[in-house]
Amino acid sequence: MKEMYPKKGRVILHVDMNSFYASVEMAYDSSLKGKPLAIAGNVEERRGIIVTCSYEARKFGVKTTMPLWEAKKLCPQLIVRTPNFNRYRLASKAMFEILSQYSSLVEPVSIDEGYIDITDSYELGNPIQIAESIQKRILEELDLPCSIGIAPNKFLAKMASDMKKPLGITILRKRDVPQILWPLATNEMHGVGKKSAAKLSTIGIQTIGELAKGNEIQLKKLLGINGIRLKERANGLDERPVDPESVAEFKSIGNSTTLPKDVANQKELFSILETLSQTVSIRLKRENVLAGAIAITIRYKNRKTITRSKKLANPIGLKEEIVSYAKELFVKNWNGNPVRLLGITGSDLLDHEEAVRQLDLFSYESEARKEPLFKVVSLLREKYGKNIIDKAGSHQVDPNHQIGTETSFNKDFLRSFNEKKKE
Amino acid sequence: MKFLIQRDRLVQSVQDVMKAVSTRTTIPILTGIKIVASEDGVTLTGSDSDVSIESFIPKEEAGDEIVEVKQTGAIVLQAKFFSEIVKKLPTDTVEIEVLNSLQTVIRSGKSEFNLNGLDAEEYPHLPQIEESNQFSIPTDLLKAMIRQTVFAVSASETRPILTGVNWKVERNELTCIATDSHRLALRKAMVEIENNDIYNVVIPGKSLNELSKIMDDSNELIHIVITENQILFKAKHLLFFSRLLEGNYPDTSRLIPNESKTDIILNTKEFLQAIDRASLLAREGRNNVVKFATINDGIVEVSSNTPEVGKVIEEIQSQSIEGEELKISFSAKYMMDALKALEGTDIKISFTGAMRPFLITPLHDDSILQLILPVRTY
Repeated sequence: MKEMYPKKGRVILHVDMNSFYASVEMAYDSSLKGKPLAIAGNVEERRGIIVTCSYEARKFGVKTTMPLWEAKKLCPQLIVRTPNFNRYRLASKAMFEILSQYSSLVEPVSIDEGYIDITDSYELGNPIQIAESIQKRILEELDLPCSIGIAPNKFLAKMASDMKKPLGITILRKRDVPQILWPLATNEMHGVGKKSAAKLSTIGIQTIGELAKGNEIQLKKLLGINGIRLKERANGLDERPVDPESVAEFKSIGNSTTLPKDVANQKELFSILETLSQTVSIRLKRENVLAGAIAITIRYKNRKTITRSKKLANPIGLKEEIVSYAKELFVKNWNGNPVRLLGITGSDLLDHEEAVRQLDLFSYESEARKEPLFKVVSLLREKYGKNIIDKAGSHQVDPNHQIGTETSFNKDFLRSFNEKKKE
Repeated sequence: MKFLIQRDRLVQSVQDVMKAVSTRTTIPILTGIKIVASEDGVTLTGSDSDVSIESFIPKEEAGDEIVEVKQTGAIVLQAKFFSEIVKKLPTDTVEIEVLNSLQTVIRSGKSEFNLNGLDAEEYPHLPQIEESNQFSIPTDLLKAMIRQTVFAVSASETRPILTGVNWKVERNELTCIATDSHRLALRKAMVEIENNDIYNVVIPGKSLNELSKIMDDSNELIHIVITENQILFKAKHLLFFSRLLEGNYPDTSRLIPNESKTDIILNTKEFLQAIDRASLLAREGRNNVVKFATINDGIVEVSSNTPEVGKVIEEIQSQSIEGEELKISFSAKYMMDALKALEGTDIKISFTGAMRPFLITPLHDDSILQLILPVRTY
């Protein structure tokens, strides 16, 4: 089967679940099948925004991120469900488990999509057979539809999986790029959002083909290093490897919440910061990291959003520490107007084991009192190894325990998929 | 106002007073330099309201005429332009004349500038300082004392008082202390004082840095006057005023350990270079932590490990190790700052435990000490 694979280069699949949340709901309740279904954050409150919807609903013009009331106007018979993240998490896990049976190089990107590098999987069949087998198994075993792109790199695979939905399999070769990708508008391209597309049009670039031939100096000036990258992608070039660890590399851990109503009362806002700090703290602990910087996000009633951060002398992880910096930043930067959304993010993350604390002249004594204890601990570790003893508080939280995932999805849980694989 | 002046003396004075001029002042006239021509000479003043510097250029010095005052008077000129202009004037003498309505003409050779001046009457008065109680100290010693302490002030405004250096004068002794709460620098020296007054004030670190820059390295005496909210340094032809920081400086004396469990004597230069090498692999911005451990036979091991970069280990032969074994981690930067501030070829480091501050002093010299708080590894 090796002859079906390129001699040089790789074969990468992008597996994209079709309207994932809606499909999972239909798998749980088959009476929903074939009906316009939408999953929305909250049915009553104004944060009721469509998270995902079934293909039947899309026919009415219902789209993701559309406010619920607008969707109901377009499609009065729309069935609305609130998200069951636990179900999606389970389904996602099962999906990635199927993928990992075809190659060890599986990179989860989000709950419902991932890359899989099958360059060395020729014994299992040619790329199309593998894609068909994956699609079939996910559909039969999990009752979930997906689209798969087959390409020599991640970018093309991602573009390909987008071309035929639902249940499509699309091959996109480098030589197909001029005919297939170049006529498309730039905002059809993965990695180009509305803002970038608007910027590109200022230098006369409307299509992916024009981007592929764009002037690098102009592009760099316009979009920075990303401009060069986009031009490469437009030419079908993408060197990024499929990295199973990438999901484990956290740059930051943050949580935010849209308030049920705009709030200008400092006391109320403080108590929201408390809750958010608690969530961030637990997530930091679960990843066994500390934050070297804390940032807060404030979105006002008029949607103006500010983010302010503070670098810390010592990395922190405890709720009390996070909340005190978050409040400090908040008081310093809040203009007193009603707030619509609040967020706290810990960044500059550092492995707990690598972290150090610079002691303070005015407070060292309280820590120094624990010195005999630390001495014993380090003696034990030297003698019997690192894992012989640990602080009860530093024990990892159960990775399956959900936190910070009530209103939106985060990728924390994808780690457990990788961890499990490593065992 | 009209006078002729030697350009190099004018340039020097302008440069000195410029140290006090800030473009970010809330009082517009302070972006200017005040120039006053009197019978005795010319006085320049710059100020940002925290620091004020006054430089006097005498009519004559050692028989040479420096200034020829044709008409006394005063003017304030935009510091940014005036300082650049005088630096670039073509000849050795400069003539400055104020015409009617604050128009100021600066002539040198065939070059002529017309600058719009500001009314000197509107320039704030410098603090009036009663000069009865003063003490004196040689300039080079003062500069050394500043250099050995000011680096340890806090750069963060979380505790504003720590951005200054604590000066205490008691029984003919001046003690300077600075700490950012992670390390502390202390220097003592005898001063000449007329009476037995006791002072305890906090001088902004920024002021001391500026003062140090404009003082010559001479052993001429500087006279110091301290009032409730100002300190004045008087050198020949130069007055330097600084605001004092308000608030009480924390009592650090009880925080400095007076007993030790491990004493190590090391060659300053060798140790400094070893720390410098070890810090090469310590991660930037992560406190630059190095490990320090006593091993057998008077050998000290300095090491650093950054998993994604690599590690370094170096052994140093000490002159002596007395007391308990020790393993400790600290910031390489703090250690290097401290070692650079110390004088003498050998130093003694006194530890009282891995979680407690340790002291670095020159051997046989108790006029200076550096204290560093270790870092705790988790």
